[in-house]
Parts: sequence; C-alpha cells; structure tokens
Amino acid sequence: MDRALALRRQKILRLASLRYLLQHPWQLALTIIGIALGIAIIVAVDLANESATRAFQVSMENISGRATHQIVGGPSGLDESIYTRLRTELGVRNSAPVLEAYGASGNETLHLIGIDPLADARQGSRFGTTEDGVIQELITTPNTALLAAPTASRMNLTKGDDFEVSLGGRSYRLHIVGLIKPQNQSAAAIEGLLITDISTAQEITNYLGRLSWVDLVLDANADAALVEKIKASLPADAELVPAASRSNAMAQMSKAFRTNLMAMGLMALIVGMFLVYNTMTFMVIQRRHLLGTLRVLGVTRRELFQVILSEALLVGVVATLLGLAIGVLLGQGLVHLVTRTINDLYFVVTVTDLQLSATPMIKAALLGLGGTLIAAFIPTLEAALTSPQAALRRSTLEAHTHVFISRLTVAGLVLFTAGLLLLLIPSTAIFLGFTSLFLLILGMSFMAPLLVMKCVHLCNRWGSTRFDITTRLAIRGISDALSRTGTAIAALMLAVATTIGVSIMIDSFRSSVVDWLETTMRADIYLSAPDLGSGRSYAALDTGLIRNIQSLPGIAGVSEGRQVTIESGALLTEVFALRFSAGIQPGFKLKGGDPPSIWKAYLNGDAVLVSEPLAYHRGLQPGDTIELRTDRGPQAFGIAGVYYDYGSEQGKVLMERDLYNQYFQDRETGGLGLYLKPGVEVDSIIEQVKALAAQAGQNIRLRSNRDIRAYTLQIFDRTFAITHVLRLLAILVAFIGILTALMALQLERAKEIAVLRATGVTPFEVAKIITLQTGVMGLLAGLFAIPTGLVLSQVLIHVINKRSFGWSMESLINVNELFAAIVLAVGAALLAAIYPSWKMTRTAPALALREE
Amino acid sequence: MAQSPATNHSPLLSLRGLTHSYREGERVRQVLDHIDLDIGEGEFIAILGRSGSGKSTLFNLISGIDQPQSGEIQMLETRLSALNEHDRTMYRRRNIGFIYQFFNLLPTLTVRENLLLPLELNKLPPDRADELLAAVELTDRADSFPDCLSGGEQQRIAIARALVHDPGLVLADEPTGNLDMQTGQHILEMLDRLVRQSGKTLVLATHSRAVAEKADRVLALADGKFTTNVEAFAW
Amino acid sequence: MIVLMNRQQSGLLFILAMLLMMSACSQSADITPEGNAGISSFLESDDNKGYTRAEKIREFRFPEDHGAHPDYRTEWWYFTGNLATEEGRHFGYQLVLFRFALKPGRTTRTSNWATNQVYMAHLALTDVAAQEFKFYERFARNAVGLAGARAEPFHVWLDNWQVKSVNDDSGTWVLQASEENLEIALTLSPSKPIVLQGDRGLSRKGPSAGNASYYYSITRIDTKGTITLGEQRHQVTGLSWLDREWSTSALNEDQEGWDWFSLQLTNGYDLMYYQLRRKDGSIEPFSSGTLIGPQGGTTTLRAEDIILETRDVWESPQGGRYPVAWRMKILPAGLDLEITPYLHAQELDTTVRYWEGAVSIQGRQGDEKIAGNGYLEMTGYAQ
Repeated sequence: MDRALALRRQKILRLASLRYLLQHPWQLALTIIGIALGIAIIVAVDLANESATRAFQVSMENISGRATHQIVGGPSGLDESIYTRLRTELGVRNSAPVLEAYGASGNETLHLIGIDPLADARQGSRFGTTEDGVIQELITTPNTALLAAPTASRMNLTKGDDFEVSLGGRSYRLHIVGLIKPQNQSAAAIEGLLITDISTAQEITNYLGRLSWVDLVLDANADAALVEKIKASLPADAELVPAASRSNAMAQMSKAFRTNLMAMGLMALIVGMFLVYNTMTFMVIQRRHLLGTLRVLGVTRRELFQVILSEALLVGVVATLLGLAIGVLLGQGLVHLVTRTINDLYFVVTVTDLQLSATPMIKAALLGLGGTLIAAFIPTLEAALTSPQAALRRSTLEAHTHVFISRLTVAGLVLFTAGLLLLLIPSTAIFLGFTSLFLLILGMSFMAPLLVMKCVHLCNRWGSTRFDITTRLAIRGISDALSRTGTAIAALMLAVATTIGVSIMIDSFRSSVVDWLETTMRADIYLSAPDLGSGRSYAALDTGLIRNIQSLPGIAGVSEGRQVTIESGALLTEVFALRFSAGIQPGFKLKGGDPPSIWKAYLNGDAVLVSEPLAYHRGLQPGDTIELRTDRGPQAFGIAGVYYDYGSEQGKVLMERDLYNQYFQDRETGGLGLYLKPGVEVDSIIEQVKALAAQAGQNIRLRSNRDIRAYTLQIFDRTFAITHVLRLLAILVAFIGILTALMALQLERAKEIAVLRATGVTPFEVAKIITLQTGVMGLLAGLFAIPTGLVLSQVLIHVINKRSFGWSMESLINVNELFAAIVLAVGAALLAAIYPSWKMTRTAPALALREE
Repeated sequence: MAQSPATNHSPLLSLRGLTHSYREGERVRQVLDHIDLDIGEGEFIAILGRSGSGKSTLFNLISGIDQPQSGEIQMLETRLSALNEHDRTMYRRRNIGFIYQFFNLLPTLTVRENLLLPLELNKLPPDRADELLAAVELTDRADSFPDCLSGGEQQRIAIARALVHDPGLVLADEPTGNLDMQTGQHILEMLDRLVRQSGKTLVLATHSRAVAEKADRVLALADGKFTTNVEAFAW
Repeated sequence: MIVLMNRQQSGLLFILAMLLMMSACSQSADITPEGNAGISSFLESDDNKGYTRAEKIREFRFPEDHGAHPDYRTEWWYFTGNLATEEGRHFGYQLVLFRFALKPGRTTRTSNWATNQVYMAHLALTDVAAQEFKFYERFARNAVGLAGARAEPFHVWLDNWQVKSVNDDSGTWVLQASEENLEIALTLSPSKPIVLQGDRGLSRKGPSAGNASYYYSITRIDTKGTITLGEQRHQVTGLSWLDREWSTSALNEDQEGWDWFSLQLTNGYDLMYYQLRRKDGSIEPFSSGTLIGPQGGTTTLRAEDIILETRDVWESPQGGRYPVAWRMKILPAGLDLEITPYLHAQELDTTVRYWEGAVSIQGRQGDEKIAGNGYLEMTGYAQ
C-alpha cells in the first residue's frame, strides 16, 4: 500500500543492517573513499577536458564574436578591398573586418585582434568593457591598444603605460589607452586579449592592405539570396564559410587528443567501477549470516532488497558528493596539464582556469549512484535468492561463487571474442576502437578469477608436500575466499595492465618519434620567425636576412620552409612549402612506393606528398588527388607519395615551393634549415646568424639539430604527463580495492585466525600468512596484467592511435617495464596488507573465539 | 507410516507424505521419507534423532524455508505448498518462532531490538518485548549487544524472541545442544514453562532422551521415518 | 544664422555622443549617467585647436564646395523631402551624412585604414498610410572607400547609402539608400539656385567672432523615384531640400535646443526658420530664417518677424514632450500657417535622440489659401 510508510516502520530492520556498517567504520570509510576516488577521476578528467574545450570556445568567441559567417582568404589573408565592396556595393551592414595575430610580451602570450570600432557586427564579446573616450584614440593614434585588464594587472601595466610586444619576430611599443574588463564573461575569457584599431594592427603585423578575415552576421535563411550574392562577388582566393563550421574545424584539431583523454578517464572509471562493485559486494556478502537470520525470522526478499539498496544509495550519495569535491580539486591540477598540451600541440588558448560546469558533475553523479546501486544489486539479489538456511553457511557462498566464476569466465570469453571481432571490422571509427578495447579488457578481467582459482589449485597440488602448513593455508585462503579476492585481483590486474599497455604505447610512440626526428631533421641548425601557433598568423623571415644567411661562408646549403593553413569549407589543411638548395637531400621517409620516382615527381612540381596522418584521415593514396583552395581558386593536386610525420596529427601536404608560388601569392619564408660544410662549428654559425638577425631587427628562434630534437621530445613527454597522472590514479584506486578486500577478508577470518592462534600459531606466523596471501594475490594480478597489458598496448598502438592520429608506429616492448609492473602489483598488495596484518596479530584470540 | 496418537488437542499442523532428499555427489540421501504427522494445538512434541537424521530439514520444511519434494504441510487452514516464496515468508513471520542451537541472534541489534524486530515485522506494539524480557529474567540486559551475553543468556533471549510475536508454533532445534547440562536444564524448564503458559505448540528437536522426556509426545526420527519405539532407538 | 549654429550644436552633440557610444559600445545602447559626465567634460575642453574656423566671409565655389572640408571639425549633407504616389500616398524621407574630424590634420601612416575623419549617417522614412516611422543609423571611417565625399563628380556616401551626380551633365543627382526591407532610389533635380544662408554664407552663432559656420541650401529640388517597402514598390514624386554646413566651433552653454522649420509652400515660396531655446526658457534673439521666393530671391527673417505658438504636444514613450504642431505667423510676408505633423511619432532614437519629421501646412496669405509640406526638427526635448 504505502511502501514508504512501510519502510519507515521497519526501523529496527534497517538498524540491523546499517549498524553493521557503523560497527566497521574502517570498511565503511574505505568503501566510501573507493567509490569517491572512482568518481573523482571521472569528474576531474571531464572537467579538465571541458575547461580546455571551453577555453577553446572562448578564444573562438574572442575571434569571431557573434559572427555567423566569415569570409576567409588564402595563406596571405584577404585583400581589404573585399570588405569595402561588401559594404558599399552589397550593403552588408553586419560585417566587420578582423586582423588577428599572436604576440608575446615577457612571459605573456597576447592575442592581438585588430578591429574597426565603427563596424558594428559584434562589439559585445570583443570589447568587454572599456573606459570612456578611447575609441577615438585607437583610430587616430598609431600603436594604441586596449589590453585585457587581468593580463595588464599581471604585467603591472595600466592605462597610459607603454609596453613592448613582439609580433612576427619584431618588437613594437604599444600605448595602452584603455583596459578591457570582463563583462558577462569570466575574467578568463578575455585573458591575453589585445585589441587595436585595424590600422595599427596592419602596421604592426606588416599586413598592409590585408585582413585575416571578415565577420558577418547573417540569417542564413532570411538572407539566402544575400549569401549567394556575397559568394558570387568574392574573388577566387576568398570563401564564405559559416563561423560554426570554422570553429568546428579548429576544434577538430584537438579532438583526437581530447578523445584519448576521455578514454583514459573511462579506463579509470572501469577500475573505479570494479572497486565500487568490489566494496559493495563485501558489504553484502559479509552480512550473509545476518541476512540469513533475518530471512528465517520472516523478512521477505523485497524488504531485504529495499533495506540494502537504500543503504547502498546512502553510501553512494555520500561517496558521490565526496567524489565530486575531490574531483574538482583534482581537476584544478589536471586542467593545467591539459591546456599546456593543447598550447603545445594545437592552438593558443589563454584560459587555464577550471570551469565548473554541471554536465560532468551530473554525469559523474549518475555514474556514481547508478554504479553503486548496480554493484550492490547483484550480490543483494544473490543473497536474497539464496534460501535462508543456505545463507547461514559460508560454503554455500563459495560454492555459488564457483558457479558464478565459471559463468563470468564464459561471459569474459564472449566479451573478449566480441572485442576481437570488432577489431576485424575495417573502419576508421575511433569509437569502435575504444569499444573493442573495453570489451577486450573487460573480457580479460572477467577471466581473471578463474585463472586465479586454477593457479591456486596448481600451486596447492604442487606445494602440498613442499610448503609448510601456514603457506598452504595462505594460498588456499585465496581460492576459498574468491568471492572477496576475485574482484580485488581483477581490479588490480586491470590497473596494472593499463599501466603496462599505456607505457608500451608511449615507449613505442616515443621511439618512433626519435627515429623520425633522426631521419627528418638533417639540417644542422634550424631557424624560424617566432610564431605563436594558431593557424593563421604566419611569422615570416626578412628576405634580406635569408639572403645574408645563405651567403655565410660555412653554409653548404639551406632548406626554406613555409607552413600555412589552407581553409576550404570545413576543412583545415596544413601545407608545407619547401625548397632545398642544390645538393641537399630531403630527409623525409616515404611509406611504400619507389622513392626515386616519387621524389622526382615531387621536385618537378608534378605532384605533392602527403603525410601519413593526412593520408589516413582523408583516405588518400599515391595516385589520388587532394583539392586545396588556392589563390587561383580550388585546385586538385596529384599525390606522389606518403611520408612519415609525427609533427602534426592532422597531417600536412608537402609541396615544392615553386609549385606553391604558382598557386599562392604568399612569398614569405617562415623557417630555414641550415646545412653546414664539414668541419664548421655549429656555435660559430649560430653566433653569426644571431648577429645578422639583430642587424635586420628580426627576432628569430634558433635551434641546433640537437636542441630541436630535445625540444620535440620535451613536448612529447609533456603531452603524456597527464597520462602518467591518470595511471597513478588508477593504481591508487586499485590499491584501495585490494586494501578493502583484505580488510574484509581478515575481518571475516577473525575466528579462523583465532583458532590458529589458539592452536599455537604465533602472531608473526599469522602476519606471514596474511602477507603471503596478499603477496600471492598481487603476484597473480601482476602476472595476469602482462598479457592483458600487451593486448591493450597493441590495440592502443595499432587501432586507437592509428584511428585517432593516423600515425603508425613500431611497437617496442620493454621487458623491464613488465617486470616493474609485477613489482608494482605485488608492492601495492603488500602495502595493503600492512594494516590488516597488524590488526589481526593484535587481536586477542579469546575475543574472536567468543563470537559464536 | 501414520502416527495417530490419541490426544484431545485439535490438530494445528498436519504433515502428509512429506518427502525430501539431498544429493551428495553421486549418492542421493533420503532424509525424509513419506512422513505423516498431526500436531495438536498446545502440544509439546519432541523429535529425537541423531545428527543428520533430518530434524533440521523437517523444521525448514515446516517453517517454509525449504519446500518438500513431495507431500503436504498444512497449518490450520494454510497449505504451504500452495504458497509462493513471499507468502511463505509472511507465513513464517506470523506463525513460527525459531530457536537454534547456536542462538542466531542478530549481532548488530541490542537485546531489546532483537525482540522488537519480530514485533515490528508483524506490526505489533512494542510493549510485548519488555514483557518477554521480564519473563526470561533479562530485563537488565536489554541494551546490551548479544555478544556480551553468556550462552545461556543468549538462548533465553532467543526463546523470548521466538515467543514475542505470539506465533502459533515454536520450533526449537537442539536448544540446549550448545549449553552445559545445568544451564541446558534451566533453559529447557523456562522454554517448557513459557510455551505451556502461553498455550503455544512446541516442536523440539534433540538427540537427548533426557531432554525429550519433558515432551507430551516423543517421536524418533531415523532413516527418514518416525518411530514411536523410542526405547528401541539405538544410540 | 543662429539656426546654423544650432544645427552645429546638434552636430557637436552627435560627435560627442558618438564617441561616448563607441567607448561604451559594449555596455548598452543607453547613454548612462556616467556617460553624460563624459560629455560635459569633453565640452569644457578646448580642443578646437588645429582646426580651421568659420571666421570671415568667404567665396563659395561650386562644385568644389559640394565636397568635404576636412579642416573643419564638423560637416553635413542634409537631405529631406516630402513625396507622394499618384494615388496620393504620402511619404517623408530623410538622409543625412555627417562628417566629423576626430583630430585635426591629415595622417601620414602606412595603413590605408588610418584616418582622422569619420562619417555618420541617418536614414528615416515616414510612411503616412501605414502610420509608420523607420529610422537607421550608420558609422564608417573615411578610409578604404567606406565613406567619404567628393565634389566632382559629386558623390557623398557611407556604405551603400549615397548621393551622387548622374553622368549626363544635367545637374541631377541620384540618392540611394537601403536598410532591412526599405529601399529608397530617387532622382534629384534642383529647381532653385543655391541659397547662401546668413551673411553671404557665413552663419554667425553669437557675438564672439569665429563661432560660426558656413551654410548653404538648395531649398527646392524636384524629386522622383521609388520607395520600396519589402515587396511593395511605390513610384513617387515630390520636393526635396538640401542643407550643407561645415564649422568648427562649439555653441553657447546656455542653449537648450531648437525648433527648426523647412517649409515648401504651394505658391512657390520656401521658408527656413530656426528658433533657439535657452535654458532659462527664453528665446535666443539670434533666432532667424530666410524666405526664398519662387525665383530664388531671399528675405532674411529675424526673431521679431515671427510669431510661433504650440498647437499640440506629443509625449515620447522614451521620455520628453515635443511640440509637434505649431501656428506660425510670418509678419513681413503676411503668412499665417498651421503646421501639423504627418505622424506624431517621428522621433529618431539614435545615438542622440531628436525629433525630425514630415509636416503638412495649411494656411493663408491675406485671403489666399496656401498649403504645403515641410520638415520640422526639434532637439533638446528628450529626457
């Protein structure tokens, strides 16, 4: 009738169950901490991820304001007359010109946006709030700027101050006529923002007559005719694109990275769920006797169910709240790692604050509560379905466990096979890759308990004459209590396997990158105009400087590079235009094909090369063509071959410079590779180049071959720093799992131990039994982790990485790593054994024996 | 083998053709073999049998914890075989009081709470708990947890718990089996007194003839069947 | 002359308001109290330095003077007119382009966008049949071809709002402007000669020399063309009026606003009259006007020549009460006119809020019945 009322009436019944938890506070605490940690990891990863995405969106908003469309140009931007025609001939009022660049001042990265304050397409998000009367200054006084207030205060600058900013390798002195204050956005949203009038922007970026793009606010439905008119009016090198698709194209760049991050988070979640399941199972099975007695007294299954599940819910709620709190703290640390990686690899984001948004919290909360309930549901169901008199006997439980384990093993096999089958599907879908990865891992974890059982049996048989009785007791204890130890071992195994798999993947990746650096980076010195990322502001080297460097006596030859991003539709394509001096061998390693003929086609300008990721993402093969929007309109370029490249996950088109010049107006050079004559000192050339650059007033970034390798690897390691953190967290979660399992086991064994003690076993021997037992558990987890980790690593390398980035790499398995994994597993287990051992050895046997 | 003892009690519980067996590996062990039994209201019946003779199985069947492979159990108007698991639980909750050799008190509840539980389950007022505590002379231990009590005290609480909700039938499975002779004797007297006072029916399983002597009627269980030939019962 | 000065004041207010608007453009369209403080502080500053001032009588040269005079701070091209379809559907229109110098002198910077000159334009349409008044505002800098003015061939434009001479030496201009669903395309043919206002085009605003502007008008321009509202295209004809003025000086602080009339009568006479209101409620004695005869002959009107009475008041939903209907007696000409607005709500809620709208005229000169149309501008009422 009124179930809630009925439940309320069952105060004593619930007390009987709940008081068990309260009488074992350590275990309750571990349960809660375990669940909380699992949730915390999800929240942290999610929040960090979302903050990075948000940071990206904010910088996109700063860039595009409330624009719905943008007119974009080629590598050298747009001719400014396009804007005038748009206004005066087509009367497109909601349009605004933008010139964008990234600059540096001290340690700060500044996002320069040149605007026309009189154009009214979208001032709101761009300006924040400025002080009175500054627009007149911006327009009429050269080198005046507005600077984001938080950035200014950090730089100890205020209105009226001058400061140096370095743009495209040159320094300019800007005068601050106003500060930009955050309006409806967080202070972080305007971080690093530097606004000038478009005239100043053109002058300090040396982009005279050019715009980065034009913002438009169009109602695509209502203005369909206008959209067509605008399109028709544009010259060949310009294109009208929806702003959203452009942001998407930018966002796409870092998507694979974020997906991988999310996958790491999910891995942590699985370990976390194991833990939740583990602890909830203990909570129930330890009370089997209690539950059995209640059943005998006439408590129905449903009542039992309600009591235990409501209890699980309570635990779940407390743990989830705790987990959310820990997750936010953890996320604070992670977001810095994430944004740093994004800055290193993709584009400049100026936001590093954690954005607290509801979605990750809700998601984690649902996972936490749902997971806890589901985890509690299975053992509760089992307990409730068991007939009461059977419940009073533990052997029944273990008998059931053995049945359960055989079923679990079958399920594991099915999952594993399904995972394998999924891998066979020829697809590039990352999602499928992850699904099969998880199926494989889950499958292998499900098989772990059976393996444990078999191992222990084997051990017993082998050891029955060789081991002393305490050792045999210890080992047998593992399989006898498989209902408790099974999940703990599986969780530890999974965590360690993740460590192995990810380590192998990173090692393999790293060695491939090292390899690639060695073949590709052949020049002795690299120099480039400092460019602060972001696809569209291309720093260029002074042409006179290039000539002077080329004619230095020690130089055998140079390679001149220019990297630009071509936007066409929703696609961003990086094009790397290269020219080698005569006699310089290009260092690109080709994937398949006949190198001499491929190089011939490339150098003749008959065709381009594409990097492996680009070929993978776009399904390109030698002989295909790739279409690029050139300054002469869309043009299909033949593909001569595919080369290995780990420098860009989106991939690149490598184009001979003469071919590039044919199709693009851009004549700038972004970087040089200097090849020295034999016997010439690298340092002396560096000094000479520095002197020449200073003479030309050009800031340059100068790196020797060795430096650039070190730098690349440094970025590489930084990128994976976050995965190390996540792995550690997964191990921590598993550690808590083992600890909980042991606590539960030892509590339950109290009487058994007491009997042992009563029969004359010393506390030291008891400790030995416990330690031995956990050590073996750790060892087993470590051993099973090796094949699982190997499978994991191969899927990561050949499926996930391939599908995410398009990079192929040789797998490199370090035996020490595998050994370290076993040590880690045993170590974690032994560490977890310390407290229970200590506790059990201190318990007076009489006390334990008294409890019926 | 039908037992139709001459008694002036009206039948409370009747068992007909009750059969139950366990599988032990390859062997099938017949624990109960077509048992018939009528138990009258207010009767005290002792079932005498060795360990493993099927006493506990019989109790599990009577209380609805387990179901017989064949045969009928009828308590007043209720036929147990017609009930599903839930209804059998409700039947047990209302009509049965259980006393075990190992007490099986709930360790997480205090003595009084242990008595309150059956009352609460049956939605009965809590006053009976203190009444019963007084009856087993343990009012002063009401707020202790069971593990602080001696075996005898625990069993007295178990008796109180079995009677507190006024069940029709009390099943006592070797209630003195875990106690010294003197304490056992004391417990037995208390059980006899309280059950008879309240007019309840008591079925007591024991291996001790001395214990069984208190009963109105003694049945011996061997090889799955009852025999009245208690004297011939080989120990 | 005072009329000119007041027009100048409106220009100055515009520029100040515009600067304010731009500086506050992220806040909201409303002018905040802090913003007004900003205005007054600007007013007090003496930054006419570096600009040429209207100090003496000069010789006007055409077509050169149709173009911009960037050495002066403020300048405008002010087109208004009353038009009707053959069926008698009446429209009023206004297209005005303002030029402001943000700083004296020319720039010598490398970017094409660098300039000291900005333009602002207002476009308004009074649709009497629909009882609707539309208005729009735009800004652009005088650079990269976004806005500007040129004398020969004549062209003044901001974005795609423009007036330019037709290629055929006929002296006619085309006026084009569109916004949202409104499109105006008119051919303008002056039917009277240029009138130099004030003293040979020098329009002094007060006793101190140099506080003046140069001001000329074409008071009667035959106009025909189309007014398109969404899908509906109307063929219209009627009369337009052009005011041209450039200056540097600010006006007196004791002036609150003005009521400016440009009237075109059926008997061929046109009348410009300007009444300046002071903050103390009195009428500035410098208020004045010009009566232009059918052949272009002019008579200067002084404040004492005119009697003005308010007939009707309209309360702006944005705040402020405008005297939208008037009785005007022009004593020297014996004219007695009733001036009523075609629509009460002809307020432009632009950067500076003011009322400017089409009016109809009924009246008499002696016994002769007279009618006409005109434009009325009122400032200083907004609250």
